[in-house]
Amino acid sequence: MPSKLQTVFDRSAFVFLDGAMGTELQKRGLRLGQKPELAAFFMPETLTAIHAEYLAAGADILIANTFGANPKKLAGTGHTLEETVEASLACARAAGGADVPVALDIGPLGELLAPAGTLAFEDAYDQFAQIVRAGAAAGADLVFIETMTDLYELKAAVLAARENCALPVFASMSFEARGRTFTGCTVESFAVTAAGLGVDAVGINCSLGPAEILPFAKRLCRSVPAGLPVFVKPNAGLPEPDGSYALTPQRFAEQMEAFAGTGVSMLGGCCGTCPESIRLLKRAYAGQKPAQKIPLRRSALCTPVRFVEVNGITVVGERINPTGKKRLQQALRAGDMAYACAQAVQQAEAGAEVLDVNAGLPGIDEPATLERLVRELQAVTDLPLQLDSADPAALARALRVYNGKPVVNSVNGEQKVLDAILPLCKKYGAAVVGLTLDENGIPKTAEGRVAIARRIVAAANARGIPNEDIYIDCLTLTASAEQAAAAETLKALAACKRELGVRTVLGVSNISFGLPCRGFLNTAFLTMAMQAGLDLAILNPNAPEMMAAVRAFRVLSGQDARSEAYIAAYAGQQPQAQAPVQAAPPPDAAPQSGDPLFDAVRRGLKAEAKAAAAAALQSGREPLALVDASLIPALDAVGEGFENGTLFLPQLLQSATAAQSAFEAVKAAIAAGGAPAAHKGRIVLATVKGDIHDIGKNIVRVVLENYGYDVLDLGRDVPPETVVEAVRTSGARLVGLSALMTTTVPSMQATIEALHAASLPCRVMVGGAVLTPAYAAGIGADFYARDAKASADIAKQVLGG
Amino acid sequence: MQLELPQTIDRATVLRYLGAAGWQPDAATDALLARAEALVLAAATPRGVWRTLPLAALDGLALGGDLARHLAGCDSVTFSAVTLGAETDALLRRLEAEDIALAAAADAAASVLVEHAADTLEAHIRAALPAGRYLTGRYAPGYGDCPLALNDEICLALDTVRGAGLAVTPAHLLTPRKSTTAIQGGADTPVTGARAGCAHCLLRDACAYRKRGTTCAE
Repeated sequence: MPSKLQTVFDRSAFVFLDGAMGTELQKRGLRLGQKPELAAFFMPETLTAIHAEYLAAGADILIANTFGANPKKLAGTGHTLEETVEASLACARAAGGADVPVALDIGPLGELLAPAGTLAFEDAYDQFAQIVRAGAAAGADLVFIETMTDLYELKAAVLAARENCALPVFASMSFEARGRTFTGCTVESFAVTAAGLGVDAVGINCSLGPAEILPFAKRLCRSVPAGLPVFVKPNAGLPEPDGSYALTPQRFAEQMEAFAGTGVSMLGGCCGTCPESIRLLKRAYAGQKPAQKIPLRRSALCTPVRFVEVNGITVVGERINPTGKKRLQQALRAGDMAYACAQAVQQAEAGAEVLDVNAGLPGIDEPATLERLVRELQAVTDLPLQLDSADPAALARALRVYNGKPVVNSVNGEQKVLDAILPLCKKYGAAVVGLTLDENGIPKTAEGRVAIARRIVAAANARGIPNEDIYIDCLTLTASAEQAAAAETLKALAACKRELGVRTVLGVSNISFGLPCRGFLNTAFLTMAMQAGLDLAILNPNAPEMMAAVRAFRVLSGQDARSEAYIAAYAGQQPQAQAPVQAAPPPDAAPQSGDPLFDAVRRGLKAEAKAAAAAALQSGREPLALVDASLIPALDAVGEGFENGTLFLPQLLQSATAAQSAFEAVKAAIAAGGAPAAHKGRIVLATVKGDIHDIGKNIVRVVLENYGYDVLDLGRDVPPETVVEAVRTSGARLVGLSALMTTTVPSMQATIEALHAASLPCRVMVGGAVLTPAYAAGIGADFYARDAKASADIAKQVLGG
Repeated sequence: MQLELPQTIDRATVLRYLGAAGWQPDAATDALLARAEALVLAAATPRGVWRTLPLAALDGLALGGDLARHLAGCDSVTFSAVTLGAETDALLRRLEAEDIALAAAADAAASVLVEHAADTLEAHIRAALPAGRYLTGRYAPGYGDCPLALNDEICLALDTVRGAGLAVTPAHLLTPRKSTTAIQGGADTPVTGARAGCAHCLLRDACAYRKRGTTCAE
């Protein structure tokens, strides 16, 4: 390591970075249309001169002109990534000689990662890995990842750097004035995620000027460990309408002085700054030393947009765990993630702040399923996840694709478990739950459990996991079997908090197993545990009494200042469940049929449809008879109105949503009865490769499911081979493909050709804005589905029902 | 630049995007649209970027005849792009998992809001126009015979990734989904440009608007 880099890490003096490269190249002759990342080839002297001027101005580290050097941007330029990186690093080295550290600069790839875009996390990783290997081979002294706006892309880049070279890694994101990146990532989520992934310095660059970045830099300093250096590289103020920047080098340097006392220890400039900016900046800091950083030691979990500080009772939704939940078991076995996604959204609405995710089910591929669940869930919810598995392979895959900082559930006192799982938590920056049991089982006494907790904490600390990231579970036993155990659990919990300085967690509902009216016991135990200092409560947030206990506790413990959250949740509510008031039918409604489910679906009333289905099931009607006698006739009536033009799409969809909620009650009843999910035929749906517009496909899914078909929804941007594989393994006789744009219709054709080539006995229906019946026939489809209603008619024709 | 959000989203246009043009919605649908509108307005962070270049910036690019006709008589071209941001896409994904009727309404409301954002940005562009300069209306890739691939060039020239968090996929789609690009010609004399019309439209024969005797532009 060049000796100058040592200063970065001992923070004994301010370290100066360079200023802008792009705007300097433009000033010195880069023409419109010329790619700046190729400057090392067509203007190497100029590039070297810019580096030399930054060095003369006082920069301690030179950042090579490799910001845009990635495989995609270089395609078709006639230059390989490797030669571009090498030539660019050589210009910086030529300016600085061997003693001046040269950084491999890595910017965003220029495509959005899934689910926002179509770039897979693994593809992003591979591109970054190629850049990192090229930079290391060309002699870079450090990796400088900057101007990131997507935390997921940043994670791919950091992992690629950490796994493909031994160089220090600096990571920097760009924030808007609202304190979030374009993708909504907060300063704190960036801080804890990057620090957790083991970067060697974090920073903020671009987008804003020094004055605007100052408050965010302060927050960054407080959110990373004391030993982790923080840097800033602001723009020369905000851009003017003509593209120039507002601050002169003099004003830039003046504004930069405000960072002196913040704990920031490295300073430089981004767009609009120049060598003079750096010279004046260095002069302004003459004789000063970096201020001490005083980080907040807090327990936090996060996704990019949601930073959850665990400080007081925090609710973990327990519903995405197949143990004892037959409907979820069926869905996971069928590869249907939509049910789990709906559960996630429901729990979030009910007040969950973290979601437990478990895919442990005999006979399924747990690692693959847990990874897929994580990907799908983080597309629809911004709540942090608790990755719940005993299988290190499943955890490794889930941790890798998780976007943010999760908590792993769990380790226990067994040495081999600690050895297998703690290194994974450390590598991916996850918090960890420790269960107070070991190879000898669960100690009867509180003291025994605290002793195991102590061992877990020591093992985690030894791996570099601090106490604020450890959550001890003192284990809820069943009161009906071991009545004295409840008190021991709470005693152990209080002792762990007091003596070990860690957070605590309990799965609450187990307390009441085997006793009637479980909610009474659950809320009482939860309240006792909260009083004993419980931090994470794993429970069913859809149970109103549980959330009520939590919200009430927050009022009485002062966590909910001025009772605001409590009032927001309950103002205007009656404490007792009231019979739903029957809404008067609107004047234009069809006459009542005497079948409440039929009417509720026809009128698009979601809550009423669910209630009517539940009532009918309770009165002993057969689940499938309910579908045939009430649901489908109602959907048919609505569909007919839609076709005749007397009903409109919003009404059709509201009916579909109502039918869906009724159908969910039916499915739950069937699953609870232990019968396999009955259906009228299997259909595979996909939005084709390259296309991300899938609302049409999602509408079709809901309608087909309502008609009783078993739909395997493969999602969007689905490659032909995935469709072929799904049809082969599921035996589906009908495939529905959607594409919205002209540029993605060819992948629809490729998918149909692949299905034909595989000689699978299935028919294909297609739909999407740019398709016509003639076009559909031309690409080999069997059916053109104009709308969701038409797709249901086609399904009936092909599969019956 | 950040673009101002409107107070409301035009319900009549939302209904038109939902295939219910001119319909007087029932109370339930009215409530649905109101919920969708509030959610979209809370999630959207509209941003835009724009840049004027000499007409020569289009040299060598496949434009199609419709866009060339639109730019007839112009000597400059103004590229612009707007997006509602990643959080709007995230909202739509969440709603699709939760309630498809609400999701469809929010999707349509977001589409209307994108157009509004493009109008807002165009107003900024026109306000910055030097005296004696004129602009055509907006023309977007994908209309008429203008290839979607032009999105790549527009986004590159505007550096939309850095300026607005907007990127193009390999299939030339804009991401986040609720985004749009536009091209306007500039000249010293008043110009209006020519609409794409239906001549080259893929949906010419199946178009529901044409069956009713109108076009999607009306």
